[in-house]
Amino acid sequence: MSTNASTTTGTLTERYVHEVVRRVPAGARDEVAEELRTAIADTIEGARAADPASAEREALSDMGDPIRLAARYADQPLTLIGPDLFPAYRRLLKILLATVLPVVTAAVIGLDVLDGKHLGEVIESGIGTVVVLGSQMIAWPTAVFALVERSRYRARLTARSNRWTPDDLPDLPPQEKHGLAGAAFGAVGNALLLGLIVWQHSAKPYTAHGKQLEILDPALWSGWIWPVVAGLAALTVLNLARAAAGRWTMPLATGYAVAKALYALPLAWIFHHQTVFDQEFLTDFNRDWTTPDSFYTAVAVGLLAVAASSAVSRIRQAAK
Amino acid sequence: MVWLVTLDELLLSQAQELRRGTTVLACLTLLEERQYGYALLETLNDAGIPVEGNTLYPLLRRLEKQGLLVSEWETDDTRPRKFYQVTPQGALARAGLTREWQTLVGSISQLTKEKR
Repeated sequence: MSTNASTTTGTLTERYVHEVVRRVPAGARDEVAEELRTAIADTIEGARAADPASAEREALSDMGDPIRLAARYADQPLTLIGPDLFPAYRRLLKILLATVLPVVTAAVIGLDVLDGKHLGEVIESGIGTVVVLGSQMIAWPTAVFALVERSRYRARLTARSNRWTPDDLPDLPPQEKHGLAGAAFGAVGNALLLGLIVWQHSAKPYTAHGKQLEILDPALWSGWIWPVVAGLAALTVLNLARAAAGRWTMPLATGYAVAKALYALPLAWIFHHQTVFDQEFLTDFNRDWTTPDSFYTAVAVGLLAVAASSAVSRIRQAAK
Repeated sequence: MVWLVTLDELLLSQAQELRRGTTVLACLTLLEERQYGYALLETLNDAGIPVEGNTLYPLLRRLEKQGLLVSEWETDDTRPRKFYQVTPQGALARAGLTREWQTLVGSISQLTKEKR
């Protein structure tokens, strides 16, 4: 009689058991499945109902949501990102999606417009940038935070026996003069400068005697402009990383100093040798005035001084 | 009316909270004699300790993991069943919990008497 009932009504129970055990750690699956099947069959039998199908439905309803039951069996977090990490996660996504994504998209659209692309192409690449870049910006932080959550849960389980004392409290984060806004500003500023350098090269915006000219010497593109461009890109990324980290850490500050050197040293060299501007542009722009040597020297020295002081200040913030 | 319903719900969840710990004690007591999950559930419910299967079955597994219970599959019956029984460790835990429970009952009844 009971075997009869379980063969005719087996599928619903099997579906339920499957829903539970697939969320349980692999090692415990077979045993939990067997236990559940027995328990459900016992419950159906215990109901002594005339209609075994409705008794099965009743039994499964009493067992409740398979996800919750699995959580009780699994004894591990079923959340991807728990309450401890969620605020930082939300903040990072907010910065990325509300600040970085629009800036990059605007830059892409701007470059397309300057390249003289059609409206349709411009819209297409704008949407493409939002979708591709936006999904990357969501996917990677989520993956990293989920991994951190997992490892922290393991650590908590093993540390549960150790008594917590006030000594376990982390230090207060140091007070910073340049906060999140400063980092966002730095990222956008560097990205803009980078965009301008690329733009004046591709768009040749200056017109003299009916000829389209670049502002910077085109010869730079087979030489010294590359470390400058790479330095600016690195500075943009490092500012964003600082926004996510909440402060300048030593690796970030070191990277910042290297990137700043990568950008400022060649640029100062270019100014010092007065090979920065396109000669035709300069002649047309200056008319009957000549740029004094002291201008180049002053810019070169100023660049180095500003770069050195900002690198030192980042490292000092990190060391605090 | 709405307020009364919420109070009822509140009571229900608070009572569940109160019962949660006692289920462990009841299991450790009843499993002095070996028993399988569903039969234990019935016994508990008949004894006036209502517990749901979705609470009891994972709980038994957890107590076994903690070394308070041992289990054994038995295949003689109509279907294979997992029988649980307390270990010596489980018996010690039961004794400790029982003492704790009696102290608690004493303290609470003392408290409620004073307040009356």
